Amino acid sequence: MITLGSYLALSGIIFSIGLVGVMTSRNVLKVLLSLELLLAASNLSFVAFSKFNGDYAGQLIVFFVILVAAAEVAIGLAIVVLMYRRLSTIQADELRTMKW
Amino acid sequence: MSPFFFYLFAFVLIFASLSVVLARNPLYNVLSLVVAIFSLSCLFVVLEAFFVGMILLLVYAGAVLVFFLFVVMCLNLNAISFASAAQSRLRWLGGLAGLMFASSFGLAMKSFMKAQAMEVSSVRGTIETIGKILFTDYLLPFELTSLLLLIAIFGIVSLAQGALSTGKETDNI
Repeated sequence: MITLGSYLALSGIIFSIGLVGVMTSRNVLKVLLSLELLLAASNLSFVAFSKFNGDYAGQLIVFFVILVAAAEVAIGLAIVVLMYRRLSTIQADELRTMKW
Repeated sequence: MSPFFFYLFAFVLIFASLSVVLARNPLYNVLSLVVAIFSLSCLFVVLEAFFVGMILLLVYAGAVLVFFLFVVMCLNLNAISFASAAQSRLRWLGGLAGLMFASSFGLAMKSFMKAQAMEVSSVRGTIETIGKILFTDYLLPFELTSLLLLIAIFGIVSLAQGALSTGKETDNI
């Protein structure tokens, strides 16, 4: 029997994996990929709540989250490419100065 | 709501997301995120959220992750530079924080037995039902999202222009 708890447990597992990825990796590209995992986990719990509560609002929120994430990824990857051009590395530790 | 499909896609999702965090080669990171998004969209279909699952597949696996792949190939990163990136001093701290989050989540799940009693509703997220709500109750957020995308385009263009102009300056110098 698949209940709401199973979906929430799966979402929590994925969120934990993504959180470890964000906190342990120095690579900016890998941090962005792990952020996508965090968003995916929250999307899963939104859709599961929508299904088990009988409310369409959860699925609409997931729709908006996907759109905002697309904008975020575009800006983030542009910044990564710029950083690689300036510093020729994408390690987050190399970003020591606020103004270059 | 077949249990078999839930377990199948849940295992694929967990292993793919582990591979996103643990794989050394950046190409494998991105490609396993594609697999993770694909199985997530299959889970959405199991939950009868057809429209959102389709949008996830189109926008994420179709556009966003191809963009990631493009950047990885454009930057020409080799696996060695990625592997040395894993030697972070705060690595164990991050792992500890993740474990703490997982255990506190487990504690929260124990007190969440009410969720187990919830019944499956007859909500079916087809294009018709989602579209009706999107263009009536959620019209203002929808339009604001288009404004957000426009602002993102402006931001990227200004970033690229700045890069181009500074590139010219360094060439002149």
